[in-house]
Amino acid sequence: MKRRVFLILGSIFGLSSILSSKDTDVLKLSSSLQVKKTISAVQEHLFPTQSLLPSAKSMQVIEFLFETIMHKTYDKDIRLFILQGAKELERRERGVFVSLTFLEKERALRAYENSSYGSSWLSQIMVLTLEAMLSDPIYGSNIHQEAWSALGTNGGEPRPKKEYLFDEI
Amino acid sequence: MKYDVIVVGSGVGGAGVAYSLCKAGYKVALLEKGKLIKREEFSKDELAYVRRDIVTPNPFEEYHTIEERVDGAWVSTSTYASGWSFWNGNIVGGSSTFMSGMFHRMHPDDFRLKSKYGKIKGANVEDWAISYEELEPYYTLAEELVGITGRANTHRFSPPRSRTYFSQAPTKENEVVKLFDKSCKDLGVTSLVTARAILSKDRGTRKGCYYSNFCGSYGCSSGAKGSAMEALIKPALATGNLTLMSNTYVKKLLCNTETEVESVLVLNTITKEEKQLFAKVFVVAAQAHESARLLLNSANKYYPDGLANSSGELGKNLLFSGGGYGYGELHKDALQQISFASLMQKGLFINRSILDWYFVEHWWKGKFKGGLVEFMFEHQNIISRAVRSTKSEHKLLWGKALGEHLVSKFTKSKNVRFEVFTDWLPHSNCFISLDKTHKDTYGMPVGKLRIEAHPQDVKVGEYLAKKCEAVLEEMGATNIRSVINALPPPNLIAGGCRFGTNPKTSVLNKYCQTHDIENLFVSDASFMPTGGSTPYSWTIYANALRVGEHIVKQLRKRS
Repeated sequence: MKRRVFLILGSIFGLSSILSSKDTDVLKLSSSLQVKKTISAVQEHLFPTQSLLPSAKSMQVIEFLFETIMHKTYDKDIRLFILQGAKELERRERGVFVSLTFLEKERALRAYENSSYGSSWLSQIMVLTLEAMLSDPIYGSNIHQEAWSALGTNGGEPRPKKEYLFDEI
Repeated sequence: MKYDVIVVGSGVGGAGVAYSLCKAGYKVALLEKGKLIKREEFSKDELAYVRRDIVTPNPFEEYHTIEERVDGAWVSTSTYASGWSFWNGNIVGGSSTFMSGMFHRMHPDDFRLKSKYGKIKGANVEDWAISYEELEPYYTLAEELVGITGRANTHRFSPPRSRTYFSQAPTKENEVVKLFDKSCKDLGVTSLVTARAILSKDRGTRKGCYYSNFCGSYGCSSGAKGSAMEALIKPALATGNLTLMSNTYVKKLLCNTETEVESVLVLNTITKEEKQLFAKVFVVAAQAHESARLLLNSANKYYPDGLANSSGELGKNLLFSGGGYGYGELHKDALQQISFASLMQKGLFINRSILDWYFVEHWWKGKFKGGLVEFMFEHQNIISRAVRSTKSEHKLLWGKALGEHLVSKFTKSKNVRFEVFTDWLPHSNCFISLDKTHKDTYGMPVGKLRIEAHPQDVKVGEYLAKKCEAVLEEMGATNIRSVINALPPPNLIAGGCRFGTNPKTSVLNKYCQTHDIENLFVSDASFMPTGGSTPYSWTIYANALRVGEHIVKQLRKRS
């Protein structure tokens, strides 16, 4: 029951709000500059500069995240959950999460993590960010294979010639 | 056009039959729901093949439901809701395309488990309709055709071989095997070289393994892996007798009489065009749960409970693989016997298994069927390994702490993993039926899998896991853990159309021909009344070649 339970337990709005959401809700949220800024700020906090890993900013992971979740094959319920989760974080932080200091963001995210909803949402953002950083550079992040290099590894050969997002093979 | 034979499913079970028939000069149509991906199109794209499962159907379009016991009641969940499904590679060549290729024969006593151990309470164990001796020539034939490499073992529990050698030496091994072999020896355990369906040298159009470091879950770019496509479909195509139809979904088998299948109703998944295809003989090999589903969906006025189901046994006694897995970490600082650099050398295999506990006679626990254990490196998937390493005490790691943790994990240690294979005892609460409410995108009822493990399966798994943990400890591994539970792995499925000599208690006869309909066969793992304590692939290959040979004989008699 993993996926549904995750949505039911995690959703502060209840499962019905996710299931009854219309495509227009998703479009509205996904085109919201604030939602994008919030998710990007969270990614930059999880993967900051001066870490042994490349930073979220230098790897342009936000583009990967939106390209992925807006793809036709991506689970539409999880797509909405990710977008709504960003709105909820902003609501909790009175709309100023993006402009908080590093320490304030740390406090806000750890507090968010204490709710099952926030914990699930942060896990999703973490997974999508690691997917961006550690997938083949063809997907736009992991620029010059910097994330692979940081881990002393590299992808297998042959590497993909096409993104599955545009052409399944 | 009327084909000699139509085979539904291009995995190991279907390809084995198609190969035998094409080689004998018969015209065969091989139908595959998935697409065709050519060898040169495969890549090691983790995002595509592992994270997004691009070779399995969209879960919202094609799915099944799984029924589990929760607080004493059976609760059904669709796989699109759970994310847990039994799709294993819907492409030409089936799931063999993505296997790791650790190949084992079943033991002669696996064919007579009931005779050896007697009735087990709560289980429906039956002896096989054939003996190991009858299947052995086909194990050897499969070994040659698939290109199984290894070293002939002389362990007391090794199945006898009619050939004392493998035609190719084993694939290259990482130096960690020195540490593994010594640790086993010190514990009085025999370590064995695992046979692999991977060529170590070039053979014909197939190149030897190039040690990509990313094997299981990916298609092979050299053709070294003995997938159904490389080993059997390509040679079958070369005969000019095979018509390969990808993107072809079979909705049902159609009959005009009680004793003969006349045609299959198929749908092209791209154009959505439906048509009937005709043949003299029909072979179903769509993977165990889907084969049973297809026959159930083909119910007609002669067989209202499912085609060839006069016994009522269709879909019953579904098997998986019992057991589980475990792992331990070898750390740079604590490594002995071998250098850390050699441990970290990429691509080379461990190729080791242990058969010592296949049959157990314990001073306290008594005599029972044990199983096989296989040792390997943790899969090298980069994203998946990183994702598994992001939590510490139920909290997410992030920032500098995450960076330090991941770098340390990837550069200062390597995980050795073991997998435990035990019998999944057949019983009355493990079967597939049709879901009464859910239909797939093509309008056909989906399969409903009721899954529950027999308590004995978990006990045996735990016994073997403890033995494996001791081996890892002897190797100097730390953070040793094992996961043994009642949930089956998604990639080993058998049963549902068991074979037997009695038409009242089995669906198929000893040649995997349905008792009810003479021109209908099932050649995937569905026939198995018990599964042994090994991965099934070699046995399915061997049996499919045996069934193919039998159909050839029948067709020759007819003409």
